[in-house]
Amino acid sequence: MTVTVMVVDDHPIWREGVARDLGERGLEVVATAPDAGAAVRIAPAVRPQVVLMDLNLGETSGVDAIAGIVEKLPDTRVLVLSASGEHADVLEALKAGATGYLVKSASAEELVDAVRRTAAGVPVFTPGLAGLVLGEYRRLAQRPAGEPAVPALTERETEVLRLVAKGLTAKQIGERLVLSHRTVESHVQNTLRKLQLHNRSQLVRYAIEQGLAND
Amino acid sequence: MFRRAPVHATLIDVERPLEPLWRGVVVYRVLTLVTVIGVSAFHMTDYASPAGAGLVLAGMTAWTAVLARGYLGEAFEARRGPLALADLVVSAGIMLTTPLIVTDAQLDASAPGMGSIWTSGAVLACAVAYRIPGGVAAAAVISAALVVAKARATLTELNDIQILMLAGLTVGFASLVLRRAAERVRRAVAEEAAAAERERLARAVHDGVLQVLAHVGRRGAELGGAAAKLGALAGEQEVALRTLLTSGNAQVDAEGRRDLAATLRALASGRVSVSAPAHPVELPAATVAELDAVVRAALANVERHVGADAPAWVLVEELDDAVEISVRDDGPGIPAGRLAEAEEQGRLGVSRSMRGRVGDLGGTLDLDTGPGRGTEWTIRIPVGSGQRRESV
Repeated sequence: MTVTVMVVDDHPIWREGVARDLGERGLEVVATAPDAGAAVRIAPAVRPQVVLMDLNLGETSGVDAIAGIVEKLPDTRVLVLSASGEHADVLEALKAGATGYLVKSASAEELVDAVRRTAAGVPVFTPGLAGLVLGEYRRLAQRPAGEPAVPALTERETEVLRLVAKGLTAKQIGERLVLSHRTVESHVQNTLRKLQLHNRSQLVRYAIEQGLAND
Repeated sequence: MFRRAPVHATLIDVERPLEPLWRGVVVYRVLTLVTVIGVSAFHMTDYASPAGAGLVLAGMTAWTAVLARGYLGEAFEARRGPLALADLVVSAGIMLTTPLIVTDAQLDASAPGMGSIWTSGAVLACAVAYRIPGGVAAAAVISAALVVAKARATLTELNDIQILMLAGLTVGFASLVLRRAAERVRRAVAEEAAAAERERLARAVHDGVLQVLAHVGRRGAELGGAAAKLGALAGEQEVALRTLLTSGNAQVDAEGRRDLAATLRALASGRVSVSAPAHPVELPAATVAELDAVVRAALANVERHVGADAPAWVLVEELDDAVEISVRDDGPGIPAGRLAEAEEQGRLGVSRSMRGRVGDLGGTLDLDTGPGRGTEWTIRIPVGSGQRRESV
């Protein structure tokens, strides 16, 4: 089955270029959008399997769009395709529900491969992304005691994530730790899921505290 | 229509931080002049020379007017220092007219000399202009003039001297603190302006140049051949330009600390991937500079021994009591004993200089290498609780 994709980017040259690259390689681009508002409006109508999302959308933020899309379309996966140098934004995007991140300098082949893997539910982790996630878990662990339980990595998950951050492929990691590459991928996926769950519970807690959840 | 006026006033006027002090000096001078004229009027009939007293008071009034003109507004701002020195001379001169006007009997009865408390204004002016040294020196001059003019040094005079010294010290200190605070505010404002400008530029460049460079990089790679080389160049420039725009985070802050993560991210390129936390990893600037040098040395080593296009990965991690940096490549690994051999032959190998730098920081350097494993350097720097500032 053809993978359906929506491309969200504020720059027309880039947007059309990416859409054509994907189309030429057998993926179906069902929609494009230039900003967060349009992305959240259009996505439910076309129900893409994968949303390819830039984070820097002019005046609007891709992170807001991701939260909106994930809420309306739980089966749609979001792959962040963004420039390097937007580290904090990338982390926020992951917590909001994105399942992968690719830098814009990636080749068309890498991009298509990443989109297919995202559609199949496999997280797309660059070493840079693993470094951000590791850092975030460390930061959470350093929070003063008394805060509600924060997610923590198991020893194995930490080990896997560190090797990803050091540039090893899933196959290399599997060889080193004597695991199947599927197990490696599921460890990586878990680190992400825990972070997203924590983010969501925090949002709910915030909403309750602010009295927004009463209605 | 009601509109709120823009607020420009701040606690400290950054460009002219001493204005409140100068205004205070003038107010003090006018109030003490009025007091001195009143007290002198009371003693007038007993003076040896009432006409002389009138003349001196007129001179004080005129000089106060001159000071007000000089110390207020911008007209003579640059000449306030010399004016304060002139003030010191004039005030001392006025005190020295005392033996001509005030009788010994009056002085014995604790009557003030000429000028009296009005002259202490010169100490305040010198303290504002020349800080603590100015205030103390001026207090010494006025104290000497006081003792000479009254030709005595009783408890009354010693009391006055004490107060003069205290005033010189206090106002001098206030002047120093105000200048420093203003300098700090000025620097903060300049940094903020620079950051805002960088952000504005970053937006403009992101919307245009970077997108085109990234696009050229991608298309070039697909077309292959000569176009691929052009594309690779465009890609490198894209990364370099982006790093330049975001490298503001790697500046040294007011406390002499620098973000290690941002500093090392500047080393990222097409072949070097840098992974670090999203939040700043702040360490003393000197430590960051050394670590930067060590990582650069390790990366240069990869380029020399594995290949100019060989990929390398840098990982920065904050552990509980240490900061750990790993530099890894996927090369053939370093044969066992080669590093030691190089050192024995007197060639200062990379390892020696890296180990030296890391050792100086109180850290450790470990090497993990072997066929099929590549080479991984692990730099570990202990971080005491006082060294790392918790990021919020």
